[in-house]
Amino acid sequence: MTTARARSFTDVLLSVENISLSFGGVKALTNISFDIRKGEIRAIIGPNGAGKSSMLNCINGFYHPQEGAITYKGQRRSRMRPHAAAEQGIARTFQNIALFRGMSTLDNIMTGRNLRMRTGLFWQALRLGPADREEIEHRKVVERIIDFLEIQHIRKVPVGQLPYGLQKRVELGRALAAEPELLLLDEPMAGMNLEEKQDMCRFVLDVNDEFGTTICLIEHDMGVVMDISDRVVVLDYGKKIGDGAPDEVKRDQAVIDAYLGVSH
Amino acid sequence: MLYREAGQFKASYQADQAIFPVAQDRLVMLALLVIAFLVVPFVTSEYVYRAVLIPTVILSLAAIGLNVLMGYCGQVSLGSGAFMGVGAYAAYNLAVRLPFLNPFVCILLSGFVAAAVGIVFGIPSLRIKGFYLACATLAAQFFGDWAFLRIKWVTNYTPSGSVNAPPLQLFGWDLSSPTANYLVALGITLALALAVKNIVRGHIGRQWMAIRDMDIAAEIIGVRPLYAKLSAFAVSSFLIGVAGAMWAFLYLGSWEPAAFDINRSFSLMFMVIIGGLGSILGSALGAIFIVLLPIFLNQALPPLGAAVGWQISTATVSHFESMIFGALIVFFLVVEPHGLARLWSIGKEKLRLWPFPH
Repeated sequence: MTTARARSFTDVLLSVENISLSFGGVKALTNISFDIRKGEIRAIIGPNGAGKSSMLNCINGFYHPQEGAITYKGQRRSRMRPHAAAEQGIARTFQNIALFRGMSTLDNIMTGRNLRMRTGLFWQALRLGPADREEIEHRKVVERIIDFLEIQHIRKVPVGQLPYGLQKRVELGRALAAEPELLLLDEPMAGMNLEEKQDMCRFVLDVNDEFGTTICLIEHDMGVVMDISDRVVVLDYGKKIGDGAPDEVKRDQAVIDAYLGVSH
Repeated sequence: MLYREAGQFKASYQADQAIFPVAQDRLVMLALLVIAFLVVPFVTSEYVYRAVLIPTVILSLAAIGLNVLMGYCGQVSLGSGAFMGVGAYAAYNLAVRLPFLNPFVCILLSGFVAAAVGIVFGIPSLRIKGFYLACATLAAQFFGDWAFLRIKWVTNYTPSGSVNAPPLQLFGWDLSSPTANYLVALGITLALALAVKNIVRGHIGRQWMAIRDMDIAAEIIGVRPLYAKLSAFAVSSFLIGVAGAMWAFLYLGSWEPAAFDINRSFSLMFMVIIGGLGSILGSALGAIFIVLLPIFLNQALPPLGAAVGWQISTATVSHFESMIFGALIVFFLVVEPHGLARLWSIGKEKLRLWPFPH
C-alpha cells in the first residue's frame, strides 16, 4: 500500500490544546492536543471507545471539555451551542445516520442551507418576491450538490425509505449544502460494501479537491484511512498515542500495540 | 386514466415547487373553490350552514394551527382549546374596549394576542419533550379555564359570565346572515391555509420539520431550537386564536368559558391525528370527519333501527353515537395511523396506475 498523496499544509484552521473531558468519573478524553490544517484531510482513528466521537462532539460544540481550549480560525472559543459552530462554518455527519426521516432528500439537503436563508415569516407566508427568489437561488445550489453526489433519482423520495448507503450520501449532501470550511465525518463508510466505500472515498476526495474543504474524519477501515488522509491522529482510552503521516503512524509501536494488543 | 401526469413537463424550479404540480389537481381544486364560493350559497339551508359548514370551516383552521405545532414541529399540545379561548376573549375585549375597531380587525388582532400567549406557554418546550410537554401545555388549558371564569375583567364584568359578539359589518354591509358568516369564515380560512402551506414548504417549515425529526442534527446544521420552536408556537397559536375568534363571532354569537374547555382541545387533537400529522389537507379532512360523523350517525341510526324493526329513542341514539364514534376513531388509527391524508395520497397513487395493478 502506498500513501497516495504527499501534500503539505501550513495554515492551522483549528487547534485543540490539552483538552480533557469527563462524564462524572469516566474520563473520555485526557489532555489531548492536535491541530487541523487548512485544506487537509485529517483522520482520527482508534479502537472502540477511544474517544473519537467525543472529540468531534467537542469540536462542534455539543460537548464542553472541562479543561483545555479549542482555537478555530485564530479565535479561542468559549462555551457555545452547536448552532454557533454551524454559523462558524463547521458541518458534520453522524455515525448513526441522523437524517430528517420524514422529509425528502431535497428538503433534507435544503435544510443544510437554512443558515443562508434569511427572509422572515411575512414573506415566507406570501411566498412572493424575496422569498421566492431566495428559494430558487438555493435550490440551484442544492441541485448542483445532488448532481455531484449522483442522487438525482431520489430527489423527492422520503429519506426514511432509502437504503443505508444512499442515506449516508444524502447526509453528506446535507453537510455540504452548508458550504462548510471544516467538514467533520463520523465513520462515513461504516457498514458499506466495497463499491459503496469506493464511491464515498471518491466523494470525500472530490469535496476536498474541488471545494477546498478541510475534512476531519473518523474511520475504522485502515485501508481507507491510509489511502485518503494526509495526517492521522490515533486515540486510545481517551489519550493521544500517535500523530503524523499515515506511513509514520502505521509503523509506530504504540499504535500497533493499541490495535493488536500486547502481552502484559 | 384521467389522473395521469404523463406529458406534463416542468421547465423551471418554480413549476416543480408549485403547491399543485399536477394539472388535474389544479382543476379539481378550482372546481371545489367555485362550488364552495358560488354554488353552495345558493343551495344551502340555514341548518346546514349552522350545523355543518361553518363549524367545519372554522375548526379546519384551528386544526391546521394545531398541526403546525404537532405535525410539523413535533411539539405535543393539549392547550389548543385555551388558545381558541384566548382568541375569542381577545377579540371580544378589543371590540368592547375599542368600539371604533371593525370586528374583522378585532378577529385579526386577536390572533396576535394568542400568538403572544402561545410563545409564553411554549417556553417549556425548550427543555421538555413528548408526554412531559403535553402535561405542561395542559397547564395552559387549566389556566385558560380559570382565567376566563374568574378574572372578571376578561368578561367585562358581565354578571352571568356569558358574553356577546358585536354584530358583523364591513363598509356598511351587514354580514350577520349565515351565508355571509360562511363566506367570511371560508375566505379567512383559505387565505391563512395558503399562507401556512407557503411557510411549511419554505425554510422556516423545514426548520420545524428538522426539529421534529431529529433535533440534535437540526441544531448541528445551524437550526436554533429557540427560534424554531417558539415560531411554531407563535404561528400555531395565531391560527388557533383567529379560529377561536371566528368560532365566537361567526358561529356562537354568545358564549361562556365552557365553550373553550379541554374537550375542545381533545377534539382538535383527534382532528389532527385522524386527518394526518404534517398535512394541511389532512387537517381539513380531520375536521370534516369529526364534525360530520356525529351528525351522520344521528341521522342514520333511527332509520337503520326502524329497518330491523327496532324503535330507537333519542337517548339511545346519542349513546350509540358516542360508542360508534369512539370505535371508528380506534379503527381508523389501527388501519391507517398516518391519517386520512395518507389514504388520500394512496388513492391518488392507485388512480395514476388505474386500470393496471402495478
